[in-house]
Amino acid sequence: MKTVMHTRLRKASVACLPLLLFFQSVTAVEAKDTNTLHVALAQEAGSLDLLQNESALSSYGLVFDGLVHYGKGGKLEPDLAETWDVSSDGKTITFQLRKDVRFSDGTPFDAKVAQWNLARWIGKTDFSWIGVSENFERMEVTGPYTLKLFLKAPAPVALAELSIVRPVRFISPKAVDAKGQQIAPVGTGPWKVVQNDKSETVLVRNDYYWGPKPSFSRIELSVVPDELSRVNALRAGDLDVIGGEWVAPLLPNRAKALATDPGVGVFAAPGVSTVLLGYNNARGPLADANVRRAISLGLDRASIAKILYQGYADPASNLFPSTIPDAGRREPVAVRDVTAANKLLDQSGWIKTGTVRRKDGKDLILNLLASDQVLPGARRLSELILGQLADLGITVNVSSLDDATYHDRRQKFDYDLAFFSTYAAPYDPQGSLSTMFVSTADSGPDGKIFVSKELDGVINSALSATGEDRKAKVQNVYDWMNQNAAICPLVYPQRLWAYNKRVKGFALPPTEYDMPVSNLSLNP
Amino acid sequence: MLKLFYRRLALAICLVGVASALTFALIASAPGNAANFLAERAAGPKATHELVQKIEHDLGLNDPLYIRFFHWVGNVADGRLGESLRTGHPITEEFAQRLPTTIRLLLGGGVVACFMPLLIGVAGALSDGGVLDRSLRVLAIVGASAPNFFVGALLVLLFSVRLHWLPAFGTSGLLSWVMPWVTVGLFPTCVLSRVVRVTLQELMSRPFATTGFAKGYGRTGVLVYEALPNLAVPFLTTFGAQFALMIIGAIVVESVFAWQGIGAFFIDSIRFRDFPAMQAILMTFVVFFVFVNLLVDMVCMLIDPRIRRSQFESA
Repeated sequence: MKTVMHTRLRKASVACLPLLLFFQSVTAVEAKDTNTLHVALAQEAGSLDLLQNESALSSYGLVFDGLVHYGKGGKLEPDLAETWDVSSDGKTITFQLRKDVRFSDGTPFDAKVAQWNLARWIGKTDFSWIGVSENFERMEVTGPYTLKLFLKAPAPVALAELSIVRPVRFISPKAVDAKGQQIAPVGTGPWKVVQNDKSETVLVRNDYYWGPKPSFSRIELSVVPDELSRVNALRAGDLDVIGGEWVAPLLPNRAKALATDPGVGVFAAPGVSTVLLGYNNARGPLADANVRRAISLGLDRASIAKILYQGYADPASNLFPSTIPDAGRREPVAVRDVTAANKLLDQSGWIKTGTVRRKDGKDLILNLLASDQVLPGARRLSELILGQLADLGITVNVSSLDDATYHDRRQKFDYDLAFFSTYAAPYDPQGSLSTMFVSTADSGPDGKIFVSKELDGVINSALSATGEDRKAKVQNVYDWMNQNAAICPLVYPQRLWAYNKRVKGFALPPTEYDMPVSNLSLNP
Repeated sequence: MLKLFYRRLALAICLVGVASALTFALIASAPGNAANFLAERAAGPKATHELVQKIEHDLGLNDPLYIRFFHWVGNVADGRLGESLRTGHPITEEFAQRLPTTIRLLLGGGVVACFMPLLIGVAGALSDGGVLDRSLRVLAIVGASAPNFFVGALLVLLFSVRLHWLPAFGTSGLLSWVMPWVTVGLFPTCVLSRVVRVTLQELMSRPFATTGFAKGYGRTGVLVYEALPNLAVPFLTTFGAQFALMIIGAIVVESVFAWQGIGAFFIDSIRFRDFPAMQAILMTFVVFFVFVNLLVDMVCMLIDPRIRRSQFESA
């Protein structure tokens, strides 16, 4: 009997052994690396090609450096250029480059490499949307670490343009094939890519990095498209950092809920972009400035900021928040005034009969485009606007659309009202002003916030101005917009991030296009 | 038998052909112009109308719909599904990277949906009107009514956020596969468990069950030895349909658990109006659906001589 029992036990042990080994291997996979930062991405990082408009903007800054860096309040700081000098006529820029820089593959960085890099895009038709490229004349290497850039005409924001995400950053010549195609993302930045697929991008510390070395050795950028899944993964400890408009957006209501979680820190900072209503002023009731003014007066921005954004937004009065350079004189936030709005509509001949207003036999009906994919929370925002404008006798029909249809219709001006967001730092103010207001500029699917020949002239004059004159002329643009009720700013959404409490030293870089990883440390 | 198989295979191929024509027409009639998209990618904001026309000509977008369809069929026959408008890479490359993930999800979900209903259904039949039977019935109805994204989020809250037993997302190991498998397999499990329970009840009143009781078997014995073997055909037929439908559930489940499979690719392709990718993915769904059902039909014929006989007679 005993022998039989032993035999059975032995058989059972042998049968269980593979099972035990299997579970042991599974547990090993799940063990957490305390030297790794786990960051969420809403979409895959992509190939990080500097010349293609395909990869997510947020990951470039980890790998690539530019000549200059966009600092706090738009102040330009040295990056690969230690110093720079702009000639008095604004047509020559001389860069003194850093001498101690190597790409992560060991290739040295010098003026010739910088020239080769710039020649890949500067002056090319595809990049004429960048002022410094459109005005490019030639380049000259005048020393091993000195590069001169000659322009046909002064480009007032040339240096600021050299701080944008792409194509202005620098890649190792060894990472580009004979046809000029980028074959690997090899830069001079603090991190280098060791794995890049649809699920995640893994980066390790670049030992050649010229700046302060990160305190941890590895970053895993995990692609988690669903916002709720990101929040749950953060609470579960599977992610360390989520948030950022261009990285992995965090919705205000979810941030509010996370703020009560003891294991999670929520970081909200003043916004760098503006959410506003754009008017189709080419036809219909919105060609009348009084109607536009009435709409602006009829909206309660404080309640939008408090209810829809859970307090993670500030009521807006200007085209740009004060965090943007040359954002102009601060205007008082318009307080909702239904009586004044009604008076303006009456003056314009829109007479209220019952609950609706009519003029020349037509009801005052406006079509509002909304897409949650383009602007998270847009559908709720449109419902609130619908309710508030109904008090004025304006009927709002909301078209809730998918991403592609929204952009299509916005591009074709197939709307009366539509939501817009400004481009934010480092692109503004020149980015949004030149693209989303100037009628002759091709803004593609981004559409136009307001179009007027008169405004074109005011903006072009401001964007070509230099020095102190520029500030005054940019203010003229804002004044023109206010006098003509051309814009309807709603809120400045705050920059929302959340992080696991094991992350120490969390701070935000000046733009939403950079990832907040530079000063972090990880607790075990 | 082989003749029957060929006949069914021909029917399946015809079905795929008709479905592909329908999906092609549907996608071709969707708003949006692929040439605009490609021109914008090639030349940025400076894309001209001439460039758009050239791309339309190169892609054959000005040809009649039937010509474009036959071109597409010819390319598919050559193993070319076209290029993704969003990524610029061949769609076959995307499929090669993403299919293993979706196959893993479907196979795991399939195992859940195959074995769990048998356990639940047999347990219910054994209890027969008892507390367990009634509880399982309620659970099955609740489970079949709960949408995938809701079930997935609940599982994550419980097993990842509260208990820290399982990873909340990803494909990092067996533990990370458990919740997606359960989520995608829950709906078919609930439907199939009711099929098993109801069919077993019906089988238990058949003459062969009475004979089983006469042989001296108890209720469990009759269930296991007499009723269960007769369950195979209704179970397999429903399982086949549910398994084929699981690919629709995979679209949501992949999104909730951040799996980069065909379902996630489908969502991206719809969002970015990636027409060639949408067409290729829809065709994959159709082929999967048709061939899973073909397989089930063949297996049913193999295991049940009555079906085989009736098919031969009708042939």
